[in-house]
Amino acid sequence: MDMTVASQGRVDVRDLHIRFDTKGQAFEAVRAANVHVRPGEFVSLIGPSGCGKSTLLNAVAGFLKPSGGQVLLDGQAVTGPGSDRGVVFQQYSLFPWMTVRANVEFGLKMKGTSRTERESQARTLLGLAGLLSFENHYPDQLSGGMKQRVGIVRALATSPQVLLMDEPFGALDSQTRVVMQEILTNMWQRLRISVLFITHDIDEAVFLSDRIYVMTARPGRIKAELAVPLPRPRTAAMTSAPEFAAMVKQIKGLIREESIAAMGGELTEGGLAGLCAEVGPRGVGQLV
Amino acid sequence: MTALHRIEAFAPPPQTAAPKAASPAHVGNGVTPLPLPLPLAQATAPGRWRRFWQSRGATTLMGALSIASVLLFWQLATHYKLDAYIRFNNIPTPAQVLEKVVEVNSSPKFVTNIGISVRRILLGFLVATALGVGLGLLVGRYRMVRGLVMPAMEVFRPIPAIAWVPMSIMLWPDNEVSIVFITFLGAFFPILLNTVHGVEAIDPVLLRAARTLGAKEASLLRHVVLPGALPHIFTGLAVGMGVAWVSLIAAEMISGQFGIGYFTWEAYSLISYAEIALGMITIGVLGLMCSGGIRLLAKLAMPWQAHSTGAR
Repeated sequence: MDMTVASQGRVDVRDLHIRFDTKGQAFEAVRAANVHVRPGEFVSLIGPSGCGKSTLLNAVAGFLKPSGGQVLLDGQAVTGPGSDRGVVFQQYSLFPWMTVRANVEFGLKMKGTSRTERESQARTLLGLAGLLSFENHYPDQLSGGMKQRVGIVRALATSPQVLLMDEPFGALDSQTRVVMQEILTNMWQRLRISVLFITHDIDEAVFLSDRIYVMTARPGRIKAELAVPLPRPRTAAMTSAPEFAAMVKQIKGLIREESIAAMGGELTEGGLAGLCAEVGPRGVGQLV
Repeated sequence: MTALHRIEAFAPPPQTAAPKAASPAHVGNGVTPLPLPLPLAQATAPGRWRRFWQSRGATTLMGALSIASVLLFWQLATHYKLDAYIRFNNIPTPAQVLEKVVEVNSSPKFVTNIGISVRRILLGFLVATALGVGLGLLVGRYRMVRGLVMPAMEVFRPIPAIAWVPMSIMLWPDNEVSIVFITFLGAFFPILLNTVHGVEAIDPVLLRAARTLGAKEASLLRHVVLPGALPHIFTGLAVGMGVAWVSLIAAEMISGQFGIGYFTWEAYSLISYAEIALGMITIGVLGLMCSGGIRLLAKLAMPWQAHSTGAR
């Protein structure tokens, strides 16, 4: 079964350009980006905020039409959203009017799966995620971590080829976040599903990924592509390994340049250091 | 199917799931749960008072007090014929009104009047709900429908339903339909506008999520847009019901035969003071029952609202 799964789920983003035209002002979000996810691979896309990484993911999800280039899933051009690509959003985006189980069943319902079949599949998935006792709860009754587990289970229920995750743990507190990363890496180890993961958290990207793409500030281009040398399965202990620290440091350096660029070209190293000039009795005015 | 086999390892470490399972019980009542070793602190006198004031019994007690004081004032003011700019000389006492209740119920006329008013309200309100919600969903969802429908609606919206009375009598073949039409008009605009607003207020990420799960337009409307707009729709229904009663009573007083508004106006013409008061109280009770009915419906239609943070 693993073999058949692993032969599907290839994502190819080729020479992707995305431009928005808001009120006559052209605005370039992504420029000439090439991103590839091999079947069963875990790939992260990391970059400073506003660099267009979510825009790129939205193009893969089918929410946006590329202005240039191609997005292919297993060789087929992506034309719109579909259940072959499960999406996990940062804001959880569970339907508040549906119970946990109804949320998980939704995709199957849209596929026309019978009620009994839907119910048994959803219950199985919820059981595996440790959420079965919450199946009749509403999303508002759950904690953030639980909501996102439901979000992941819901995206997986339709057996997609690829899982697209847009900063899925961004809204969680740091402890919950670490646990969720472990859950995700364990799950992925079993599923061998392709994952395209957006984050701005470097530790998270290194811990989870096989490969990492670093994006530039706007317009987003691919600045670097790095393979993570850590073995599988990943454990929490690996985060203290020297390879881990070295990789994080390397990426930090790459992103720092871009973050500064993203904050505006006029920012200098002196500005970053803060106002360290001696300020005399006449105040800041004497500096200028 | 495949996904089921592939994610055995998805179960989280049990120690993280257990404490969270308990947390929703505390969330939402605004009380920070105390650490375990302090259960006695809550049994002290101030704690007991506080708990009493937050209990259902206290709410009922205060409600009873509130109504009792209105009745008491009414009794005193009419008994002593209070005359201090506002005059209670001709106002019937509560006992006189109570007598009237017995008297009017000896013939079926009064109950028939109530029945006719309720029928008019239900008819007008149901049509307004069907059209208001249906049109509101389309206007909120599709730009073209909005562009074509809303300008025409904006022309009619500022005209109070009561102003339609003469026109309505000319428009419709009989009096009954014209009163139902006025009731409909009163309810329609609040329902329409709130539905439109509800559709607009839906988080677009929910629509995206539904589309990635394979939902097509019809399913989106049925499973995302409609339930997403429901809280606003029910606001519209509650407001619409209020305006519908205003319009109905006015229409019945002006053009009516039958109905509780007509009953009240007729009592005025016949200088039957107790019946005026009885008519007013009846209208109040009917209005209360109608808005109570809508609240009940809202609860049944939106069970998730009971748990949502910050709701009511």
